[in-house]
Amino acid sequence: MIKLQDVSYARLGTQDLDGATVFATDFLGLEISHRTKTAVYFKSDSREHTLCYFDGAIADQTVAFEVAQRADLDLAATELERLGHRVETGTAADCDLRQVKSYIGFRDPTGNHIELVWRPAISGKRYHGVRDAGITGFSHVGLCTTDAVRDEAFWTQVCNARVSDRIGDAALLRIDEVHHTIALFPTNRAGIQHINHQVESGDDVMRSFNFLTERQVPMVFGPGRHPTSSARFLYFEGPDNMVFEYSSGVRDIADELLYRERQFPFEPKGFCEWGAKPEIKEFRN
Amino acid sequence: MIEQLRYVRLSVDNLGQAADFAQRVLGLEPIDRTDNMATFRSDFRDHTLAFVAGAPGSQAPQCTGFEVRYSTDLNDAAERLSKLGITTQRGTADQCALRKVKDMLGFTDFTGNHIELVVRPLNSGWRYFPSRDAGIVGLSDVMLRSRDVEKDLTIWTALGAAVADWAGDAAYLRFDTAHHRIVLYPADRPGILAVEYAVESVNLLMRNFYVLQNLQVPVLHGPGRRPASEQLFLTFAGPGDVYYSFVAEGLSAPGPQDPNAPVDKNRPRQFPSGPEGLCGWGSDCKIAEFNATATIRN
Repeated sequence: MIKLQDVSYARLGTQDLDGATVFATDFLGLEISHRTKTAVYFKSDSREHTLCYFDGAIADQTVAFEVAQRADLDLAATELERLGHRVETGTAADCDLRQVKSYIGFRDPTGNHIELVWRPAISGKRYHGVRDAGITGFSHVGLCTTDAVRDEAFWTQVCNARVSDRIGDAALLRIDEVHHTIALFPTNRAGIQHINHQVESGDDVMRSFNFLTERQVPMVFGPGRHPTSSARFLYFEGPDNMVFEYSSGVRDIADELLYRERQFPFEPKGFCEWGAKPEIKEFRN
Repeated sequence: MIEQLRYVRLSVDNLGQAADFAQRVLGLEPIDRTDNMATFRSDFRDHTLAFVAGAPGSQAPQCTGFEVRYSTDLNDAAERLSKLGITTQRGTADQCALRKVKDMLGFTDFTGNHIELVVRPLNSGWRYFPSRDAGIVGLSDVMLRSRDVEKDLTIWTALGAAVADWAGDAAYLRFDTAHHRIVLYPADRPGILAVEYAVESVNLLMRNFYVLQNLQVPVLHGPGRRPASEQLFLTFAGPGDVYYSFVAEGLSAPGPQDPNAPVDKNRPRQFPSGPEGLCGWGSDCKIAEFNATATIRN
């Protein structure tokens, strides 16, 4: 069993590093942690970085999860190889780039590139966004799946994720008390489906709705409230059609023994209890 | 003196359309319906909204009703108002019956808004059953246009209301446990600017936002949050030359009788004029009176 502790960072390839940087700072509200000639690292909370844009193919996307022990990486590598996944071990230079002590990389059954990292760097300096978006941190990712049943089994049986709720066949998975850290959305491609940052309050969600609308950032869903996690949300499009989400008020699942996952309909009311209609391909039939 | 906001009476060109708006858009419960009048319930009060057929400004003008406790209070009010130079009319038996009250006193403020003070207005013994699940919990407040806020304020303070806060030159007035029940907005003509209904929570407010979109009712301001009252709001146009709002959450006022209320809780605060002072979320505002950036008081 691969024991995921937390989602750590996302890495996104882009053909327009400057444009992506403007979006990540001025619009999304992240802080530049550091930059190299070919990459910019952004922080959203106490971690050294939680998002990286680098010069590369748009399809080159990675999500990293933290493991607790060095031994967990070795166990994971053995298990993944036994199951037929090719595992790469990060070189010292690659580890430095990611600011982690060590890591391994592999692809999940759909082909999403995943990294497991050990000892990712925490920053000594607190996060101070470029604008007052109220961000409290990078919180979860939506991942594409080409076979929801197969991938749910991968994340819940090979890894330690548990199903919190399902919207149609889309499984919302938790790896700690937070309602979901990974969400699997059925589609016909591999890649990150959306990137979520938590904000302090529902007021922050609404302020950003007006702020981003005024700046012609395409709104693709919301403002709304998820009946599953109870979070208030807003989805909008960033560079290279990546969907970003702000949300606030996600529920905790404290009682592992008594909690039962629930089935919600794969239609607008399963995604929003206020009546917003998604314009996100993976949220529509 | 005044203890409760009771009702708003509006004259409308097309009673059928107005009644349809009250039920389908606001989700209110229809109560009485005659050829020239339709009333609607929103809470424990028999009705809080009455539409009267007739062109605006005709013999059936807009008016706002407030409750006082006894008929003697009406005498007292008439005396106080006459000192301000305002003439009052005691309601006739017919007028009282139409409004389902025991006694009433009508007057016109310095701007030209009609106000009615009523005694023993009817409460419904039956609970409110809305036409649609808009989550309305009751009539919350009214906004009145004022040609001279300072002058009109003398009327309201004489009747027992107090300024809760200022947004530009607009005055929020309170007289019970709510942050405000009346707002006086600087304007160049008389009239009720907005009628506001409180809904249960942010969830109902936002659900209504999407319901209004589906009903193709354009939202003219909001959803937003008012810096002064901390109310969530959603404002849209409706019949009778009036805006309607759904509001939720918000501050309550410490009553003057509350000995534990910190002194500065009762101190009116000055907020900016224009949209900046009316919405802390930066929502788009398409209402002229709200966009007017009147000069800050000296």
